Amino acid sequence: MMPTIKEVRNQVEKITSELIGLSMCDHQNFPALRELNNGLKEIGLKQGCNLSIALKNMPYKEIYDELNRTQSYNIRMLDGALIQIMYEFKDELIRTHHLAFFPSPYLEEFQNNPDVYLEDEIYSEVVMKSLVPFPIRFDYDSNDAVVKDVDHPMSHLTLGQYRNCRIPVGAPLTPYYFISFILRNFYHTAYEKYCDGITEFVEGFSETITDNEKQVLHLTVPFIKHGIFRRLSNKIRGS
Amino acid sequence: MVNIVHGTTKKPVSSNRLADFFINSPQYDGYLYIGYPIIGTAEGPYPIDALWVSKEKGLVVFNLIEGRDLGEFKETQDDSANKLDAKLRSNKSLMKGRSLEVPISVITFAPARADVTVHDDDNYKLCNENNLLETLDKFSWDGPEIFNQLVSVIQSISTIRKGKKKREVQSEDSKGAKLKSLEESIATLDNLQGEAVIETVEGVQRIRGLAGSGKTIVLALKAAYLHAQHPDWKIAITFSTRSLKGQLRQLINTFTIEQTNEEPDWENINVIHAWGAPGDNDRNGIYYTFCKIHGIEYYDFTAAKNAFGRNREFEGACNKALREFKSSIGLYDVILVDEAQDLHPSFLRLCYELLKPEKRLVYAYDELQNLSSRSLPSPEAIFGNNPDDTPRVRFYPAQSGEPQQDIILEKCYRNSRPVLVTAHALGFGIYRQPDAVTGLGLVQMFDQNKLWLDVGYRVDEGKLADGCDVTLARTEESSPKFLENHSTIDDLIQFHCFDTIEEQNVWVAKSIRDNLSNDELRADDIVVINPDPITTRDAVGPIREILFNAGINSHLAGVDTSPDIFFDTDHNSVAFTGIYRAKGNEAGMVYIINGQDCYSSFPNMASVRNRIFTAITRSKAWVRVIGVGEGMKKLALEFELVKKNNFKLAFHYPTEVERKKINIVNSDTSDYEKKRTRTKKGEFDLLLKDLESGKVLIEDLSAEKVERLKFLLNKRKK
Repeated sequence: MMPTIKEVRNQVEKITSELIGLSMCDHQNFPALRELNNGLKEIGLKQGCNLSIALKNMPYKEIYDELNRTQSYNIRMLDGALIQIMYEFKDELIRTHHLAFFPSPYLEEFQNNPDVYLEDEIYSEVVMKSLVPFPIRFDYDSNDAVVKDVDHPMSHLTLGQYRNCRIPVGAPLTPYYFISFILRNFYHTAYEKYCDGITEFVEGFSETITDNEKQVLHLTVPFIKHGIFRRLSNKIRGS
Repeated sequence: MVNIVHGTTKKPVSSNRLADFFINSPQYDGYLYIGYPIIGTAEGPYPIDALWVSKEKGLVVFNLIEGRDLGEFKETQDDSANKLDAKLRSNKSLMKGRSLEVPISVITFAPARADVTVHDDDNYKLCNENNLLETLDKFSWDGPEIFNQLVSVIQSISTIRKGKKKREVQSEDSKGAKLKSLEESIATLDNLQGEAVIETVEGVQRIRGLAGSGKTIVLALKAAYLHAQHPDWKIAITFSTRSLKGQLRQLINTFTIEQTNEEPDWENINVIHAWGAPGDNDRNGIYYTFCKIHGIEYYDFTAAKNAFGRNREFEGACNKALREFKSSIGLYDVILVDEAQDLHPSFLRLCYELLKPEKRLVYAYDELQNLSSRSLPSPEAIFGNNPDDTPRVRFYPAQSGEPQQDIILEKCYRNSRPVLVTAHALGFGIYRQPDAVTGLGLVQMFDQNKLWLDVGYRVDEGKLADGCDVTLARTEESSPKFLENHSTIDDLIQFHCFDTIEEQNVWVAKSIRDNLSNDELRADDIVVINPDPITTRDAVGPIREILFNAGINSHLAGVDTSPDIFFDTDHNSVAFTGIYRAKGNEAGMVYIINGQDCYSSFPNMASVRNRIFTAITRSKAWVRVIGVGEGMKKLALEFELVKKNNFKLAFHYPTEVERKKINIVNSDTSDYEKKRTRTKKGEFDLLLKDLESGKVLIEDLSAEKVERLKFLLNKRKK
């Protein structure tokens, strides 16, 4: 079963609430579910957000500052990283999604003052000296006018704001897939310690990748079973 | 006797001569302001040279002529009278119908001109010392019933209402309504604060006062006042808690606009951190600037910690910079330092060296904020000596007509008497059960008992002297009644013990929900403080989760990208914070969770007591201390004793010997640790000698311990 927009919203709420409980999230906004015209529904951010800024040609610091100032995020992580989760459905089918991770460009500052910042060793990776913070976006758009085989896959990953970086992704992502990707890769120590405290949502969307796109390097969205992440993590931890 | 408030002026000679005239005319009363007020007009700021507010004469404006050139003095007289008149007319309390109830007279005072009578006429008074008395005697006013209003209008330098969203209240006795009326009552400065803002010393000035006495506001307004009078001066205002930055900037901005109708020129007025880092202007700081302009190596926090050790980072960095700089480059005309109690004296020295030769340094501090018996050394000691061994800075006893060097703000406007006294009682351990080691309940005490009087206590019973029993109480003067009258004492401050952390969390979340839905409090009226910095992140998560699921937003004032802002800009998020970030901030309702962590700690008893003190004093109105277990029960018991003693501090003032004992056992200083290392080192030396001489054989030691030692030594080699 593919998740409905309500289920997607529930996932966002549940994940946010759990990240707060684990204190990985320092500030958050409630996901807003809005009904638009023509059977369109969206899960978005509150009024007054400045989303277009992220696409502008300006220094990353300024983009980040503006997003932070206008609270244009769902979740602000403990290290200042901003996470945006937005979906649009038409007639109960997913039409677009915008899932983005904007790490804080000020990490260097924290490196200089780890004591102020680091209250627990489990957040060790966020103060690594060699780290380069760059934004990550998973975008999905099923609009025919936009999609172009291989060049502009429906579901794709963009790294570091590179203009033509669109790594094909097998299917749209659910909030859970996206967040667990972020946690697993960018908050690994915390994830290992806490993954048991995060509810799994195994439902996924169906595949949208084309055969041609499968010929280039791409990401596959696995069809996961209940408990698999947890078991994998436990295995890695050797327990 | 006229009370002279000596501000800053570009006409020092004539100002001083005017002040001298009033010092020698004791028959007059009221206030003489020099270099004040500044009137914001359409054409920009309009400074009044001097203004006398008197019961018998009304308002007398003095236009001062510093040299001999009279210029268009008649035109200037009209101008200044009109400007002042226009400003005062906006105050209903000074108006009767359409006319201003107080007469405004203008005198041009030109002490360097002997021929004033030649130019003087009935409408345009021109005076020097010879005819001033005679001229003044012609003025009269019989409206003294509005004199107090008049003074308060003149003194109300600025409304200090924060730029917060307007409070809308439905019910008259809700907490929201009470907070609203509290905020209105403290929206204007009192006389003492007003004078502290204006009085400008050519040299070092210090301002002391309790938390909530308005030091930060006074400093910010002072910076703005100096900026308005001298737009070309380079002014720095500096602090150690970054969350103060937003507040300072906002105060300066509001004040400058009110006084001058113009935005402050941020190029010349820098709100910067004490330390600072390379990068853009926002990260600039005093220490960083000092290093940069003197070409000295800069240490960041990590580098300083490695070089000078924990808790000595900044002190070490400042001392090193002071040792290495060759000759002082005066960069600033004025530096104002807030929270100087958290900064090492070496930092004040560094500021001193960064100033131009006038050395206008203003530092504000709270003797009690750290509670530890170490307060800042005297100014004579802080700033060192001249080559001839005389102190570079010297404080003189206050003199009439001279701006005060040493200002004490003894009124506390933030915490009500019960809240403040509870904070002191717990902070010092006044009613703690005596422990076995010292035989005393106290965990710290001032060496100079007079300090208690400076911070607004009076002796109620007994004697304030070493080894005597004393009962100290706050007066209505130092703790105004209106701060506590709005609620019952049982509502002002509560202690609650729970069996489990979960129960505590549920209770806090529920209370916050009540505050928001029934008490008409706003989310930004509430702050939740966890006293142990190490556990804050874990401790607040569960409560925030419960709130989120109930549709209440919250944030952890953590290390994010804008450490300068403590409260959420949208006002709809409850702030959670560890104790360090709570400093310098305030809220109507303060929840202190895990109070048990503040009962005791070994070996550093004083530090946990300081935390509970700091946490409680964040409250503008209500405090809830909650926690679990034995420690919390005992803490609550101490509070019961405070209450039983009617919020007075009754204790035996420790003798010097007792104080030493208390300090060694409990103190914040690292002396205790140092001593421990010393003994251990001695023991090790002995062991080594015995091993060398064969008195003790390696085999005598356990094999496991020898292995561990080997491992340690090997590790060092790598």
